[in-house]
Amino acid sequence: MGLKMIIVKNLKRTYVMGKVEVHALKGVSVNIEKGEFVGIMGPSGSGKSTLLHQLGLLDTPTSGEIMIAGVDVIGLSEHEKTIFRLNQLGYVFQEYAILPELTAVENVYLPSMMIGKKRELYLKTSIDILETVGLGERLYHRPHELSGGEQQRVAVARALVNKPKILFADEPCANLDTESSKHILELFRKLNEELGQTILMVSHEEWHKKYVDRIIYLKDGLIEKM
Amino acid sequence: MFKNLKVSFFLACKSIKRGNIGTTILTVMIMSLIFVNLIFLPSIVNGIGETIIQQSIDTIYGNIVIEPKENNLYIDNVDNIQKKLNKLPGVVGTSARYVTGATFTHKSKFVSGAVHSMNPTDEEAVTIFHKGLIAGEYLSKEDTDEILLGVEITGKEGVEGEEADLGGVTVGDKITITFSNGVIRAYRLKGIFDISVMSINSYAFITEKEMESVLGLENKASEILVTLSQRGSEEEFKKKFIELGISENIKTWQEKLVGVMESILGSFSLITFISTIISLIMAVVVIFIIIYINTVNKRKQIGILKAIGINQKVIIHSYVMQALFYCFSGIVIGSILLWFLVSYMAANPISFPMGDVSPLIEQQLIVTSIVSLIIVSLVAGFIPSWKTARENILKAIWG
Repeated sequence: MGLKMIIVKNLKRTYVMGKVEVHALKGVSVNIEKGEFVGIMGPSGSGKSTLLHQLGLLDTPTSGEIMIAGVDVIGLSEHEKTIFRLNQLGYVFQEYAILPELTAVENVYLPSMMIGKKRELYLKTSIDILETVGLGERLYHRPHELSGGEQQRVAVARALVNKPKILFADEPCANLDTESSKHILELFRKLNEELGQTILMVSHEEWHKKYVDRIIYLKDGLIEKM
Repeated sequence: MFKNLKVSFFLACKSIKRGNIGTTILTVMIMSLIFVNLIFLPSIVNGIGETIIQQSIDTIYGNIVIEPKENNLYIDNVDNIQKKLNKLPGVVGTSARYVTGATFTHKSKFVSGAVHSMNPTDEEAVTIFHKGLIAGEYLSKEDTDEILLGVEITGKEGVEGEEADLGGVTVGDKITITFSNGVIRAYRLKGIFDISVMSINSYAFITEKEMESVLGLENKASEILVTLSQRGSEEEFKKKFIELGISENIKTWQEKLVGVMESILGSFSLITFISTIISLIMAVVVIFIIIYINTVNKRKQIGILKAIGINQKVIIHSYVMQALFYCFSGIVIGSILLWFLVSYMAANPISFPMGDVSPLIEQQLIVTSIVSLIIVSLVAGFIPSWKTARENILKAIWG
């Protein structure tokens, strides 16, 4: 602990919808330490997902600063952002965002393939990760042959395959039943504790609190409490 | 670059292999029919051109035709010229002909046209009339009162109408000919030929000996046809003929046919051009729609791919590769269909007024069609995938 993984200063994001301006983030400043498991919570429209998208380089803020692992990511070009996302960040989305035409193991090794790793290496790593998330028996199953919880675990495995500095999870349990949600959250906890994986997770479920190190509460585009 | 292409190839393969098989089969079938259409019509036009050329060489001109000098009606000293030409290696044969206007009469029917003379032995080495006999016999060198007529002059018995023929004369019938110099003679119809070309089937032949007696000439000719062992060497032989001291008008079949070919093939080339453009537009539309629907349906997936760090170019290339897969599969299956079609039509040619026509596929036509199809597939695959892949990640994923 102590090493700052993310430094955010006065982050603002305004969406222009026709003649209306929506201020989703109104000046957020926050630091995330390396190896922290941080929950972002708040009511609907508070700016939770918007903050995650800015930190995950999926969107560009209107103003403010973001430093990730010492890199000023706001100044990166689109191409540099793509490479940064591939090498340094991992994502788990609300819906099971895996490709239906690929098997579980293919979905997982795709980002490693993109980096240019050797087939033997990325195949072994992907199988190992899938075994870690409890899908060692489902390697060659396609998404339609997996349950929602299993698909989300494939997404987690994919997010981890390139050993990212930060794992972003945007309401990863939103479409899962309680049992599957527990599996995912315990998996995150395990990854955080055993591998020291930095995790930022958006959630609106009160019972998820016990899995995270600390919570950032957002309200109306501002940090309400930390 | 290579690793990017590897990922694009991987995504394209999986998409084709595990995508909708029905759509893939349908798209490939449409592409194959477009490829067939691109080749087929021009190949028929090529076939028509080839038929005209071969029939003209085999019946009217030979490979080279020698005509009288300007302002002369006849070539002089024909025996000497033929001897010189026949000695040249590569010359298969020569045939000297007189041509004169005449009117053919049988009972109440009459037809105006031209009478050609032939030395039957020489003519056999140069033309194909002897192979086209459908009744009677070929002329002999010493025949004086016998005539060989094409089926367009003899006509068919019982067929009445406005046809310019003799109403169905048969072998053995007497035909009266009034020559342009006023000489009138009667001939027994010795043979009838039909070589599938309407204009050539209007030819009439008497022997050289008989024609010289009618015209009162000797050792002259209106034209000398020369057949070579190899088509394509006409210009080379034309020079050799000049070197031999032949000062008459020497013309290759290409020179004789240039106007005819231009007028006939010119009309067809417009039709071919329109057909080619329509085929290519169809290819663009099919590929564009397939890739467009594909990318729109996979908009969210494209957004996810971009979010996890897959380069935009990799995504675009994967769709372009899919378009190329449809294109190449279409070309392969189209080639097989074309092979069956051409084989069938070679065995069962289409009858045209200029003769029986089979498709003639030239290498250049195949190359042009393949290249055009690849280019349109690249463009039609690129545009929709580029449009979708450049979309904002969040908009692509969440709409």
